[in-house]
Order: sequence, then C-alpha cells, then structure tokens
Amino acid sequence: MILTTKNLRKEVPSGESNLVILDDITFSLEEGKSLAITGPSGSGKSTLLALLAGLDTSTSGDIVLDGIKLNLLDEEERAILRKDKVGFVFQSFELLPGLTALENVMLPSELKSEENPKEKGEYFLERVGLSDRQHHYPNQLSGGEQQRVAIARAFACSAKILFADEPTGNLDPKNGKLISDLLFEVNSEADNALVIVTHDQDLASQCDKKIELKLGKIVG
Amino acid sequence: MLASLSLKLFIREIRSGYLTSMLLSLVLAVTIVSGISLFTDRLEKVLNSETKEFLGGDLKFESNEDSIKDVLKTLNLKDSKSSEMAIFASVIFSEEEMQLSSIKAVDNSYPLIGELELQNSSGTYKTKENPTPGTLWIDERLKNLLSLKYGDEIYVGDATFVFEATIIYEPDRGSTNFAFAPKTIMNIKDLDKTNLIQPGSRVEYNYLFTGPEEEISQIRSTLEKNKNPGDDIESLNEDDSSLGKTVDRSENFFLLGGLIAVLLSACTIGISSQRFARRHVSYVAILKTLGMNLFQIRGLYLLLFFYITLLTLVLGLTLGWFLQSNFISLMDSYFPTELPAPSLYPLYVTCVTVLICQFGFIYPHISKLLNISPMRVLKNDISFNQNILPIFFMGLLAFLLLLFIYTNQITLSLIIFSGVIIFSFVGIGFIYLLLGKSKLGLGAQDPVSLAFSELRRRKLSNSFQIFAFTVAIGLSLITFSASKNLLGSWQDSIPENSPNNFAININEEDKASMKRFLSENDIKVNLFYPVANAQIVRKQDKDNIIDRNFNITWIKDLPEQNEIIDGEWFQEGVKNGISISDQISERYDLQKNDEVIIQMEDGSIETYIQSIRAVDWESFSPNFFVIGHPSLFEEKSTTHITSFFIPKSKQMVAAELMREFRTVSVFSIEELIKQVRDIVNQVTKALNSILLLTCLSALFLAFAALQDGFDQRRHQSAILRTLGATGKLVKTSSLIEFSILGLVSGLLGSAIAYTGVYFIEARVFETIPGFYPEIWLMGPIIGILIVSGLSLYLVNGLMKQSPKDLLRLQT
Repeated sequence: MILTTKNLRKEVPSGESNLVILDDITFSLEEGKSLAITGPSGSGKSTLLALLAGLDTSTSGDIVLDGIKLNLLDEEERAILRKDKVGFVFQSFELLPGLTALENVMLPSELKSEENPKEKGEYFLERVGLSDRQHHYPNQLSGGEQQRVAIARAFACSAKILFADEPTGNLDPKNGKLISDLLFEVNSEADNALVIVTHDQDLASQCDKKIELKLGKIVG
Repeated sequence: MLASLSLKLFIREIRSGYLTSMLLSLVLAVTIVSGISLFTDRLEKVLNSETKEFLGGDLKFESNEDSIKDVLKTLNLKDSKSSEMAIFASVIFSEEEMQLSSIKAVDNSYPLIGELELQNSSGTYKTKENPTPGTLWIDERLKNLLSLKYGDEIYVGDATFVFEATIIYEPDRGSTNFAFAPKTIMNIKDLDKTNLIQPGSRVEYNYLFTGPEEEISQIRSTLEKNKNPGDDIESLNEDDSSLGKTVDRSENFFLLGGLIAVLLSACTIGISSQRFARRHVSYVAILKTLGMNLFQIRGLYLLLFFYITLLTLVLGLTLGWFLQSNFISLMDSYFPTELPAPSLYPLYVTCVTVLICQFGFIYPHISKLLNISPMRVLKNDISFNQNILPIFFMGLLAFLLLLFIYTNQITLSLIIFSGVIIFSFVGIGFIYLLLGKSKLGLGAQDPVSLAFSELRRRKLSNSFQIFAFTVAIGLSLITFSASKNLLGSWQDSIPENSPNNFAININEEDKASMKRFLSENDIKVNLFYPVANAQIVRKQDKDNIIDRNFNITWIKDLPEQNEIIDGEWFQEGVKNGISISDQISERYDLQKNDEVIIQMEDGSIETYIQSIRAVDWESFSPNFFVIGHPSLFEEKSTTHITSFFIPKSKQMVAAELMREFRTVSVFSIEELIKQVRDIVNQVTKALNSILLLTCLSALFLAFAALQDGFDQRRHQSAILRTLGATGKLVKTSSLIEFSILGLVSGLLGSAIAYTGVYFIEARVFETIPGFYPEIWLMGPIIGILIVSGLSLYLVNGLMKQSPKDLLRLQT
C-alpha cells in the first residue's frame, strides 16, 4: 500500500468548542492506483487531501504514506517527505509568478539538488506540449496552459504519489477534459499513485477507486 | 449611506489590524510634532522673558557718561518705560571691615522687569521696589566679608547708610561689567551724598527701556544716532551665555529630532498606504461593478481617512501634550516661574504635517486605487503596480515640503533631500551592478544560491526596501550623532574640576604671593593673564575709533579654547602683532595685516593684526577679544586675571584670599556651573526621549517596508514548502538575503549620516563638525541586526502557518 489511513479525525477550534471537519476516515490505496475523493463543498475534501499529503496534521488517527507514519513526523520531516515522495496539482495552479514556465518546472529538481534541472524541466514541458512557452511567465499563459505547467512540475518531482486538488475546477469543459486526460496519461507513464479531489463525476469515474465525503465522513 | 458605509469600513479596518502600522506611524508623528512644537513654543516664550529679565529690559544703553540724558528727554515715549542706573566700583566700610563692591545706584523705576528677592531678619521676600534713600541692599558674600547684621551702619564715600536687606536674586543680572565684585544696590538719589562720582571717575551709566516693539526700535535708532565711541546698545536675542546656547541648541535638536521622526513616519505611512491600496483593489472593483460611481467611492475613502485623521489627531495630540509636560517637568527647576501657555502655532504645525502626510503619502495611493478597472473582478491579474512614478514623485515632494516646513531653510532642505535621494540611488545602482542579471532557476538547491537568486529577481522591490532602510538607518544615526555631539560639547565645556572662581585686579606685586597662597592651600594655580583696557584705532583712519573698549591681554602661547582661523599665532623671532577674535573682525571689519593703534591709559602702541581666532566663549576660562605679543606690552602697567578650582570642602579659602589680598576681587561661578550642569542633565533626558522616539519611528519604517515585501513572499514560501523546501532552507536564505540588504542599507545610511551630521553641526548647531568613525561601523551592524532580525521574526511567523493555510485550500 502506498497510502493507508485509520480512524482519521480533524478538529479545528471554533469559538469555545471544536468543529469536527473529518471523522473516522479509514481507507487505503495501492501503488500505481488512482483514487477520487468527491463530495459537496465544505465536506472536508481538501482538508483530507492536505492531511494525506502531509501539509497539515490530524487531530487523531493514523496516516501511513509509503510505509512512513506521518503522525510521527514534525514539519521539517514532513517537508522532506513531500520533496521525496509527493507531487501536487492545485485548482488555482499555484505557479510562482516571478518564474518562467521552465523555472517553475525546474523547482522540484532544484530542491532535490538534482544534476540537470533544466533538461528535466524541458522534458516535462515538452511532454505537456508547452515547449514553445518555456520562457513565458504565468501571467502570459492561459488557465489551461498554466495548469499544464503545474502538471509538468508535479511530474518533475519524480513522486510516488500525486495529489490533485480540483485540477479542472478553474478551467472550461474543453480545457478541463484536456487536462484530465493529460493527468491520467502522464500518471500511467510514471506509474504513480494518484489522489484527486474533485466535484467532476466524469473525472472521478476515471479513477480506480472513489470515496465520497459528506459532513466530514465517508458516505460511499 | 456613504457615512454609515465608511464608518463600517473604518471599524472593520481597525479591527482587522491591517491599519495598525499606518495608525501607529500617524499617531507617532502627531505625538512627536505636537509634543516638540508645544514644548519649544513654551520654551521660547519663557526664554524670551528670561533673557529680557537678564538684560533688565527690552533695550539697554551703556555709556561711560551721562550725556545721553538730554537726548532721552527729547524722546516722546508714550507706552514705554525707562530706568536709569549708575554702576561703579568702590570700597565700602563697616565698623570693622572694608571691601571692594560693585555698587548699583538705581532710580524709582527699578526694576523695570521682574522682581528682586531679598532677605532680612524676618526671612526672604520678593519686591518690585527700589531701596529707600538712606538704605542699602548688599549680597550675602559682602555681608559675611563685612561681618554685618541687619540694621548696622555702612559707609560709602562720605555717606552713611543702613544695611536693610541681603540680595538673593536680582532680575537684571546681565546689567553690568562690574559684576565681579560683591554687589551693593542703593537709591540713585543718595549718589551725590557719597561724593564718589567726580570728573574722571570710572562710572557706567545704564539706561533700560521696555515697551512696544515700535517705540523700542524708535529709541534704538535715536540712541544709535547720538551714541559716542565706547557706548553700547544691547537688545534681546543677543544671549551668548553658555546657558543660552545650551538651551538654544537643545531646542534645535528637538526640532531636528522631530523632523527626522516625522520623515520616518511619513515613509512608513507611504508604505502602509500602498499595502492598504493593494488590499482594497478587489473591494473597489466590486463596488464599481455594483454600480457605485467614482464620486461616491472617492467620498467613501475620503470619509474613511477623515476618521483616521480625527482618531490620530485626538490620540497624537493627547500623547503630545503628555510628552511636552514630561519635558517641562524635567526642566521645571530651571524655570523660576510657571511656563506660559502655548500659542496656536503647534496645533497649526501638527495639522499641516498631518495634511501633508495625507496628501503626499496616502492620497496618491488611494487615487490610483480608485482608477482600478471593474474588470479586475473578472480577471484577477489586472496589474495594480504599473506606473508608480507619480506616487513616488508626490511622496518626494511631500518629503521636501516637510523638510522645508521644519527647517525653514530652503538650502538645508535641499541638501538633506538631495543627500537622501543621491545616496539611495547610488545604493540601488550599486545593487543592480553588483548582482547583475538573473540566472536560470530559483537557485533553491541551497540557502546561499536561493538568497542571491532572490536578490537578483527582486531588484526593484529590494531597491524600495533599501531606500526605506537607508532612510531609517541614516536618519536615526544623524539623531544619535547629533545628540552625542551636543552632549559631548556640553560636557567638554564644563570638564570636571574646571575653574569655578575668577580673581581679578591682581597687582604685579601680589602675583607671586597669591600663587604661593593658592599652592599652600592645595589649589591648582592656572595662568595669570595680564589684562588692560584699551581701544583700537585703524592706523589709516585715525578718526574712526572703534566704539568700544576691549580687555586686552598679552601671552606667548595660544590659549586652549582658541583656534586660529586666519593667519598664524606668534612665531619665534617675531616680536610684534596682535590676534583678534573672529567676532571683532566681523563686527568692525578688521582683517589680517590691518595696521592698528592700541590706545591705552599710559600710551599707544602701533602694531598690526597678525591673526584671527575663533574663541569658545562657552568655556569657563578667561577669554579675550584681543591678545597682543608680550614684547609690545613689556613697559605697560597692568593687573592680572586668573581662574582656579576651589573644591566644596575649601569654600572658606575664597573669603580668606579676599581678606589677604584686599585689592583682589574673587567671584564664584559655581552657581552658574551648577545651573548649566543641571540643565544639561535634564536636557539629556529629554534628548534621549527624542532619540528613543526617532528610533521607534525608524523601527516602524523598517518593519513596514519588510512587511510589505513579505506579503509577496508569503505565497512563494508556501509553494516552496509544499514542494518540500525545509523551513531551514527558507529561513537561512531569508537571513542571508536580508543581512545583505541590511548591510548595504547600513553602509548607505552611514554615508547619509556622515554627510548629514557634518552639515547639521556646521549649519544648525553652529559647532565645529566632529569626526565620527563609529558611524561607519554602527550603520552596517544596525542594518544587519535590525533588518535580518525583523525578517527572521516575519519568516518565523510564516513558518508557524501550515502551507495549507497559506495556499488557502478549500475545505
């Protein structure tokens, strides 16, 4: 198993009491497989994604990612884990505006101190069909193009598992379809596990596994 | 609708905490401006009345003859009052003792200003009267020397008087040249009875005037036309005393400190406004989309800033009042009376400052904000940062305007303004040159590469930060150095064990025995200066006598507190020449190499001006307008003057000395030294408060500049951390990056401070500019410590937040 959770619970302070965002979340995902997390707004999908990716900590319960118990790691150790094993694609792309498309894709390789970040960046940009836009800044690219750069960056991480938060949420249906196809295509090449948070039932249906959240609990 | 919406917006902004740095800076600026201007306004008023009291009136006419009396009768004085007094030195006798005294015979108008404090057997009392004929008031020292009791008889010339009271305080302390000897005050009607004033007697006639400015200037011009050589006219604002200068300079420092704090606050306000505007872009775009017109939106923001202004004025003026009360309470022992109420000027200065800050540093940002397109609602990346030049230009204009308002000197304003601009641009240019072009990638492999990559990428925003840090460091260092210079010059002017007694009228034959007397009493013997009264006449223009007498001395070595500014001091082999003070040179247009005749009681000497000296009149040592070469005066009869330090434990030595050497007059300046020391101590406390407030303003500015930059870094840090960058990498690279920014700003700040201090010392404080090598060390150290320290604080804040929060993932 690449990812396992057991009795996961997340509470946040709200006034004098605590608000339960997630409760009793238990599931697992095999290596190279894909998982869709669906549910209405406010159901706790993105919070779950943040916990699974080690961006946030749970109140109780366990998360094991590639054999490592996330609960036992501090923020610095979780950062190293993200660097080595995790890739991300966000709904709002989250590219660095001051860096070109190529530089954004080079970033994970730089953080890993890899030898040829430029070559790797160029390879993945070519893979997402943006060879001719390498030196463009994010504000010079369309939404679809920005998300393609984000996908290239995610795969440049050489991650074992990829987390995507509403990857098509900010795109029109045509571009959304292109991006989801690209995501699955590149993912199958890389043989990564993929966790997608989405409202899009079509996108969810392409995944090997699906869990549906409602008010912080798995309902299906 | 607008009023309620703006009020809601105002309350929301205050609660959100986003306005904190702008509000704090505005409140700080108002506090400092109002506090300092209220204080200096009241100080000026009290100093004016003190100087007036010291002089004895608004105008004083001094003459060795009473011939001006007839002229005075022709003056048609309506609202002015005048007083006449005759001052001379004479020996006075009790039944057992005799003593030289400085006698002041006063008319019924005395004292024109203020009141005397006297003591008799019933205790101390204040009076505005003069002594009744037949009675005398004498000072305490004379009472002791003559072993007198109240009611005893005193003999002055041929007249007998009753000793009525001891003088504790007299208002016209600066009224006489005979003040060295213990003082006696008598009624002028008794003068003839004494038979002391005979043709040829050395008497000084003083005529004091007080009244409306117009009449005083009319009296002055009449006196100017009718005065004889040797007569002197003195008016207010000619206070050259140590105390006067101490207070005067500290006042200048307060104003400088105020100006610097305001400039720093203004820059902070500018940066905070930019943040404010950036945060309100979407808000304005939505309001426009919902149909609010530009006029209404402008009204909304004007109302919002009206509330902000009102709040800052109320808070700032209240705090400013406390600040000035604190300064006044520090110094109240110096002022004998309660300080007068302030005028409206401080309020005017404060309001003008706030208005300039509003229109120069806030309004341009708001104006730009109002121009944002409603399209921003649909397309989030519509840029807000284009064309910042008009905003920058408005800020600079307001900066210059504030400088001019506070210095009231266009040249000085332009010097400071250009200095700040030139040094900042030099620094920015330096950064551009040093860092060169950006390389490919962010350089996230290691902290050093990341730091340098960030420096290269953010050259423009870093430049603004460098400008802000440079201003903060430079102006704080100027305040620090100026306060150090002031304190240093005051402390230097009164070194420990500096002479606290002067002895004059020492005859040639008493010189050796007096030196022996002092040595036997373990009192350090200083130089005995020969001294004589003389007039100077230009050789080429014998009729044009310089209309005053000078005390002249002749010595081989240049006195310590003198500095030759033109020509040379007497060289070996040359046996001629005189050295004159720069004031004399300026006032009477006497230049180096001018040939002059020195007219003394026992003959004339032909010589020339060999050098011109700057004299430190504040030093508590004998100072002379004219110093001659000793060879010229070998044959001249003279008395001597010396000064020495008598410790508290040996106070009786002074009285013994006067008993032993009857013709010698010893007068103590212990009280004056104590008064100056006390005021310096109190002013030091006030100076430190100003320094503290200035540093606080600088800290606010540095923090605001950093915070502004960090808004942009927040997002990057979150992405880097999401992608696996460790906190250590982000923190270390920030530390390196900001240390470099701090170092550059510190060096530039030092350069500004070094240049600024030079001009301020020379032009504002009118002192000899000092040499401050420590500035070059302090600037970079402060820059690195403060800038990197504050950045670390902000980075730590970022590290505490989860990357999930920073990226605002949906739940």
